[in-house]
Amino acid sequence: MGKGKPFLEIFASALHEDYRFPILEIFAFLYALGTFVFASFGPIMTQQTVSNESMAYNLTASLLGLPLFIFIIFIFKNVAYGLGSDLEKGIIQTYFSYPLKRRGILTAKLLSAIGVALVLFLTIQISALYVLAPDIISPYLGTVLLTYAANLSYPLLVAGIMLLVTLALKRGGLTIVIGIVLYFAMSIISSIAVFVASATNSPLALQIVSVISPNVVLARYYSMPFFNELWTPAFSDVLLHIGTSYTIVVFLFFFGYFYFSKRLGL
Amino acid sequence: MPLIVAEDLAKTYGKVVAVNGLNLTLNEDSITGLIGPNGAGKTTTIKMILGLLKPDRGNVKVFGQDPWDNTTIRSLIGVVYEKSFFPPHQKTLDYLKRVCRVYGVAESRALEVLGLVNLQEAMDRPIKALSAGMLQKFAIAHALIHKPKLLIADEMTANLDPQARSELLDLILQLHKDEEVTFLLSSHILPELSRVCDSVAIINQGKVWAYGKLNELYEKYAIGIIRISTDNPEALATEIKKLSYIEKLEIDLRGISARVAEGMDEKLYEDAPKLAKKIKAKIFGIETGSASLEELYRLAVRMSERR
Repeated sequence: MGKGKPFLEIFASALHEDYRFPILEIFAFLYALGTFVFASFGPIMTQQTVSNESMAYNLTASLLGLPLFIFIIFIFKNVAYGLGSDLEKGIIQTYFSYPLKRRGILTAKLLSAIGVALVLFLTIQISALYVLAPDIISPYLGTVLLTYAANLSYPLLVAGIMLLVTLALKRGGLTIVIGIVLYFAMSIISSIAVFVASATNSPLALQIVSVISPNVVLARYYSMPFFNELWTPAFSDVLLHIGTSYTIVVFLFFFGYFYFSKRLGL
Repeated sequence: MPLIVAEDLAKTYGKVVAVNGLNLTLNEDSITGLIGPNGAGKTTTIKMILGLLKPDRGNVKVFGQDPWDNTTIRSLIGVVYEKSFFPPHQKTLDYLKRVCRVYGVAESRALEVLGLVNLQEAMDRPIKALSAGMLQKFAIAHALIHKPKLLIADEMTANLDPQARSELLDLILQLHKDEEVTFLLSSHILPELSRVCDSVAIINQGKVWAYGKLNELYEKYAIGIIRISTDNPEALATEIKKLSYIEKLEIDLRGISARVAEGMDEKLYEDAPKLAKKIKAKIFGIETGSASLEELYRLAVRMSERR
């Protein structure tokens, strides 16, 4: 018996299941379609911006609408059905008979469920930005990446919560419902936060929401001054909120790994 | 060297006690049957041995090591679950080749194990298209890929037809003989276990109540069973049943089979001819019977329930 490649094989097996025909093709098509359709409106929407940096932010943010939603659906499906159903049906139990540590099995599954979806999403988005507006994007790549970082932290946070719910329930269907509810709850909470901030004349509610969804702070940082009567965040505030948000995401995934490796009974 | 040593294992699910102080030692080069009624704790025990569940109390060593998240042990064990699941959209042969790469064995082994379970005709089918019986055969092939030293199976023959069951039992005996694979088999189908097992552990209410070599157990528990061959079993059975030291009595094709209280066999040897004479029945023979696995199982379960 030679040296096996259990990690690569479980990863390949997860890819085979998560992205089987025509799922990958449909999602890639929707990513591209959403990106280019929204891109055509992007530059028009950014006419009123005050700086090239803001324009880069607005253009990037304008591309995110539908593709980000598709990305979220994609990773929710992969986490809930890729991992949840595998736990529910006993496929993870089968993987546990292979000579690979539990953390390796979870990494292979998450890399397939989230990592590949993320790479696909970012590749299409950034390629589209370079094709459509190279003059704006090239000098402000940092702004573009910061915009993605701010917008992706909340879906990843929900994915982390879904991971924990999946491990606790060992079921796929209910998990995806919880994920969707959490995702839409955020839109409602953001609206309530704006209302509370206006009513109390205090930015505290916005600052709290920005920890969970740092796009709120980034949008205020780059948007027109008259939108920012309540709160005009500095760049350090942006970094602080994004950093805090990703710390929570990392904690959730760390906890998921800990539970999966040390406690999960099947 | 014992391959499995479980000491004082305990596991509860909420208020349900699944395993309660279980002790078991599985020796190398044996075929051991783990038998017990539903809810006896067999599957939970197997899961703790496989490192899928952590015991609440006690400890288990497999190949001298803790099985939890232990990759060395996983390389040495093959597992067949009562209901096995595999990635459904992959083809059987492709998936087994993948498993060959997982363990670092030649891919030709995939076809070889499919042949062992007579599943070559399904090699191009997606796993989801396999029937329950075929899936169970596939699970067995999957468990044999890396030529494990120990194969643990939970209700391995559950979904198989009689022909496939018989072939599988032959395969178990062949693997045990040719490749010195040690087996721990959990099953409800006692005649099957008695055909292949050299040892049994009878488990109920989360404890092992009888464990040992099958022939030794038969000898040990056969003491109280007396078989009486007669021309009028019903009438004689009615009389014998009245004796205070009779614990259980059955009538079958061979005549009367009576379990007597410990040390009372000689008394029945004396009493049975007297009772036969009284009802004018003929006795053709009285002998101490050997217990069947089923009788052994019933006895152990009864013992556990009394306590």
